[in-house]
Amino acid sequence: MNMDRRAFLKGIGGALALPLLESFSFGSTVTPSAPTRFLVVGNPFGMHPDNFFPKEFGHDYTFPKTLRSLEWLRDRLTLLSHTDHGMVNGHGREVSFLNGILPENSMAYPEKNISIDQLISRRTGSKVRFPSINAALEHGIRMSWNSNGVEIKPHTDPQKLFDHLFLNMTPEERGIRRELIERNGSILDTVGDQLVSLKHKGSVRDRERLDQYETSVRELERTFSDRKNWIDKDKPAYDISEHFNDYEVTVENRYNAIFDMIGYAFRTDLTRVATVAFPNQLSYTDVNGVTRGYHACTHNGKKPDVIAELVAIESFQIAQLSRLLQKLDAVTEPNAQGSMLDHTVVLFGSGMGYGGTHSNRNLPILVAGGGFKHRGHVDTRNSAGRNMPLCNLYVTLQQRFGIERDTFNTSSGAFDLPYHA
Amino acid sequence: MRSCFLGSWLFAALAAGSALLANPALMEEHCGKCHNDEELKGDFSLSHLGQNPDRDNIFLWEDGLEFVTAEEMPPPEKSELSHADRKHIILFLKQNVRDYHERNAGPERVGPRRLNNRELANSIADVLMIEDVGTHQPVANLVGDTLEDGFDTNGNALGMSQYHLEQYIASIRRVLDATLLSGKKPAAKRYIVGSDKLQLTNLSDRRRAVRANRTEESIDLLDLRLYAYFENFETAPETGRYRIRIRATGIDRGIYDAEETGMYHGDPIRLRVHLGDRIRDFDLPDGEILEIELDEWIARGTRVLLSHPTDGLRMKGNGNFKFQYRITRDYLEKHNRELYQYVVREEVPVAIRRKDRPDHWVHWTKYWQGPRPRLFSAEVEGPLYESWPPKRQVALLGQEPRVENAAGILRPIAERAWRRELRQGELDPIVKLVQSSAETLGMIEAFKEGIVAILVSPSFLLINPEEGDPADRFATKLSYFLRSRIPDERILTASRSGQLDSYQAVRSEVKRRLGNGEAEEFLKEFPYAWLQLDRINFMSPDPDHFPLYNRKRLSEDMIGEVLHFFRHAVENNLPVTEFLSADYSFINADLAKVYDVERVAQDSKLRRHAFKDGRRGGLLGMGAFLTLTADTLGTSPIHRAIYVMENFLGIHPSPPPADVNIEEPDVRQAKTIKEILSAHAADETCASCHRNIDPYGYAFENFDPVGAWRDEYTMHIRTRPSGTTPLEIQKENERLAKLGLPPLAMPSEDKPIPVDASATFRNGQEYRDIVEYRRLLQSEVNRDRFVRCFIGKLLTYANGVELENYWELEKILSKSAQHDYRIVDTIAAVIDSPLFREE
Repeated sequence: MNMDRRAFLKGIGGALALPLLESFSFGSTVTPSAPTRFLVVGNPFGMHPDNFFPKEFGHDYTFPKTLRSLEWLRDRLTLLSHTDHGMVNGHGREVSFLNGILPENSMAYPEKNISIDQLISRRTGSKVRFPSINAALEHGIRMSWNSNGVEIKPHTDPQKLFDHLFLNMTPEERGIRRELIERNGSILDTVGDQLVSLKHKGSVRDRERLDQYETSVRELERTFSDRKNWIDKDKPAYDISEHFNDYEVTVENRYNAIFDMIGYAFRTDLTRVATVAFPNQLSYTDVNGVTRGYHACTHNGKKPDVIAELVAIESFQIAQLSRLLQKLDAVTEPNAQGSMLDHTVVLFGSGMGYGGTHSNRNLPILVAGGGFKHRGHVDTRNSAGRNMPLCNLYVTLQQRFGIERDTFNTSSGAFDLPYHA
Repeated sequence: MRSCFLGSWLFAALAAGSALLANPALMEEHCGKCHNDEELKGDFSLSHLGQNPDRDNIFLWEDGLEFVTAEEMPPPEKSELSHADRKHIILFLKQNVRDYHERNAGPERVGPRRLNNRELANSIADVLMIEDVGTHQPVANLVGDTLEDGFDTNGNALGMSQYHLEQYIASIRRVLDATLLSGKKPAAKRYIVGSDKLQLTNLSDRRRAVRANRTEESIDLLDLRLYAYFENFETAPETGRYRIRIRATGIDRGIYDAEETGMYHGDPIRLRVHLGDRIRDFDLPDGEILEIELDEWIARGTRVLLSHPTDGLRMKGNGNFKFQYRITRDYLEKHNRELYQYVVREEVPVAIRRKDRPDHWVHWTKYWQGPRPRLFSAEVEGPLYESWPPKRQVALLGQEPRVENAAGILRPIAERAWRRELRQGELDPIVKLVQSSAETLGMIEAFKEGIVAILVSPSFLLINPEEGDPADRFATKLSYFLRSRIPDERILTASRSGQLDSYQAVRSEVKRRLGNGEAEEFLKEFPYAWLQLDRINFMSPDPDHFPLYNRKRLSEDMIGEVLHFFRHAVENNLPVTEFLSADYSFINADLAKVYDVERVAQDSKLRRHAFKDGRRGGLLGMGAFLTLTADTLGTSPIHRAIYVMENFLGIHPSPPPADVNIEEPDVRQAKTIKEILSAHAADETCASCHRNIDPYGYAFENFDPVGAWRDEYTMHIRTRPSGTTPLEIQKENERLAKLGLPPLAMPSEDKPIPVDASATFRNGQEYRDIVEYRRLLQSEVNRDRFVRCFIGKLLTYANGVELENYWELEKILSKSAQHDYRIVDTIAAVIDSPLFREE
């Protein structure tokens, strides 16, 4: 593709000062097509249900208080009532938010308690510099797990996250990285030589698995040559200093920084999967009107003033999300119809229903964007009145990313959420 | 059409010998009424058999033989077949099956398959001659292996992709980086960890200051979710050997009621040391300080953590630790009135929280006296090296490796990894790689490159990827079968010199290895795969209704029971049939609760127990089987029937046809599963199969989802969280009605429904309950089926694929029978078979 990319993008209406699209550059055979991205935002305590779930089902519901900052997105979100992972009540089960499985039971599953974000990042990750970006402030809440049941630790310091995402490697670091790729390349060459002689020795029926092996070698070689290009390429330049220039470094501006970095990483195609967690240990006292700890607010004894503080924290989380979604919606997706948000599947929720009652049964779950034909507020219970396994939603989400599986961990089916092809 | 078919049959029979002349006519008379081209009962017509068995229909001949032998065909109500005539038919079918297999005898070749992740880790460690792949989770990034019918050795399920390959390279590099060290020898340091340096952290890595458990000289491990660490030695600064000393004791064992804590008085208090993912457990003596000493090779960056491993301390509240403090309150109220009154009168009123609730756990934390490890201090010294370069490096590369010697150095490594002798020139590209890297990377790094190339080669990653020497192939296969790792010198030498060529030789080798701890992987992994124990927590029992199962981690005890029984059978070389016929099993105090056994030792150790009531003993009464075949709240005789058929009897019932619309059972009606299934089986399309399947499962209806005995069904209504009152349900139903949704079920107030665990098999044999069922399963036919099934599972484990060779299987079966079905002899017969040897 020998055309000036900026000119090309301008031509289809991208009027912004467009950042370089990271993955858009390699190989003349690549046809540009719009990527689908995945954003997860989660917390460990669920949501105060009266202020999260609307009273009515369907499209014409009164917008609940906690979600107010998302009202602009009303037609492009789905709220799911009555989903769960079948967990006993109490803390400690929220770690199953994105997989439906507690770590101690993960041996029953071939890919252990792999979380949906990691499953999707395996699909999208080879095309971008970072398969996934996992972030939280100060502490994680154990949301992401790989297929060996190992927890993916999030970045908990915005400054370090910035360095990781945007700081260019020093020439020495680039040298080391390049050397490693070259070393790995030589190893594949050596193995390739041996493979030729081995295939001569193998019988015909042995060949199938050797072919599979050979294909893997060839594909990996190609990836390595792509990777080498990454190293020499500068990462997109970005400046988040505005968030740290204030007199006081607050929870709010640190989260602003995290969400802005993720938004920018999406826009520059640095990654296609990102998770953000709101931990309980954080002090939210600089958030509007909050004087108590997050956990203390969940145990409010139904006192209106304490509930108000809890709702303030929860609204803050939603507002942070909304702020990013607005930014994504302001950008036209290059090479496709709609905004960037229409190509970003957004999941907000928790593995806990509501901390106040320690319930893990009615989980607060919200899906937005992603080009879905959204359904408003949905009662997911079946005809016998049973809650829907949340993993049914994950089946739908993985299929949205072209993963052709009809089960995910504890799913019993799929959640009906069609999308605009 | 039919007469024409009969004609060809007669012709075939004539060819087979005149003694069999009458048989096709016999079959026509007794089978042809239903199995003809018009009726096609069970999708089968006699005409499908053709004149002789061929590649496409041999399985029909074998199934037919199986059914007629088991007297399941013809069904007793349809045809009366005399004993003599049945024998004629069996003989006829058998002869044809045998002739087919003798005609088509040839080498059974098994395609290569990729090592699974556990074989890979073992093999890398063996090639590099180190204890394990390392403490820094070097293989955690590998893609999890997919299981097929419980087996992680299935070649088709073990895929290979670019992603796999890249993770292999990364993992192998990490292992090598923690094995081969270049540069200057790092200096050793001593870290004195006084009690003030012992800190606690939770799983999200947040330091926790729990004041209640600290004294001037010690700290206690209370909460199971907290780990202790050394503040001045959080991670190993360099790779090397470290000497770690920990002073600890177990305290307060046996003070609280074991029912309350979930910890038996008979169990020692244990301390777990985590060196990354390498785990070492120590039993702590009561009240006396144990000086634990570890001497371990640890990779740079490895965290050292200490924890309290127990299946107890989850009995109160939702199982989280803080609720356990209620035990303290109850204990003091009963046994220490003075202190109890003091807390209630003096401490609660001035507490910061929960003044109004003296029974709240928060007031009792500092008086906790549950069993726990107490840590006093520790000391770490390292990194230490016996020599520089370290011993393990010298063993692999020699004192001072040079490129001129590259071939000599790499040869033994490659021979170990590839499990065979090298061919002329085969090592050249790798030697070249080392040579060309040496200048830029330095010597040690260059050799690492060579070793990475050896270990990502298909000759290492795939089992037997080429024809090669049959002796090496056999040694490799036998080694992965018994030990899930590369063959050791002894097996290779024995195989190459022909010392493993006979049944007797194989038997003594297998017996020796099973007996001396050199087949631990087999003893664990095979039963685990065969019985699909991985499934036990897939639909685990509902935590609200089966609290004990979840709170006491019963699945671990249940798996332990199976493995213990299997090991017992191997150690004593018992007949395989004992898995079905035994009246005993191995239980501990937790399992005794499920099995309703009284007067057992109050601890977690598994001990032999004989069941007098004929209901349990052997695999059929084990909680593992009964739980993993159940749903979260209910049981399904069909799941259990299929499990018994497929894993114990080797019968593979076909799945329901795709076009059948199966109604979801209406859970709002208090119907028994048997009623639901009878309704289902009333449909003739379903009935023909279910008449065959269901009787294998009904007998287990007396066992609930965790395998406990029941005489009546308890209806579990899980439409609302537990504890919901009828009034609340009524209110909810009013709301649902407004939304046009169906109502929730009310708690059933009907009389309990008694369990009916009787059924009739297709061959007319009836049973009233599990006791009679167990007796029927010990018939000669079922015994043969069980042993044959066991043999088939061993072959699947070994070959990574299910080989279909009925006749060779029969030969192993008769060899096993000659040795009274003894398990070691049976395993040896499998290994000695052409199906294993691939000859």
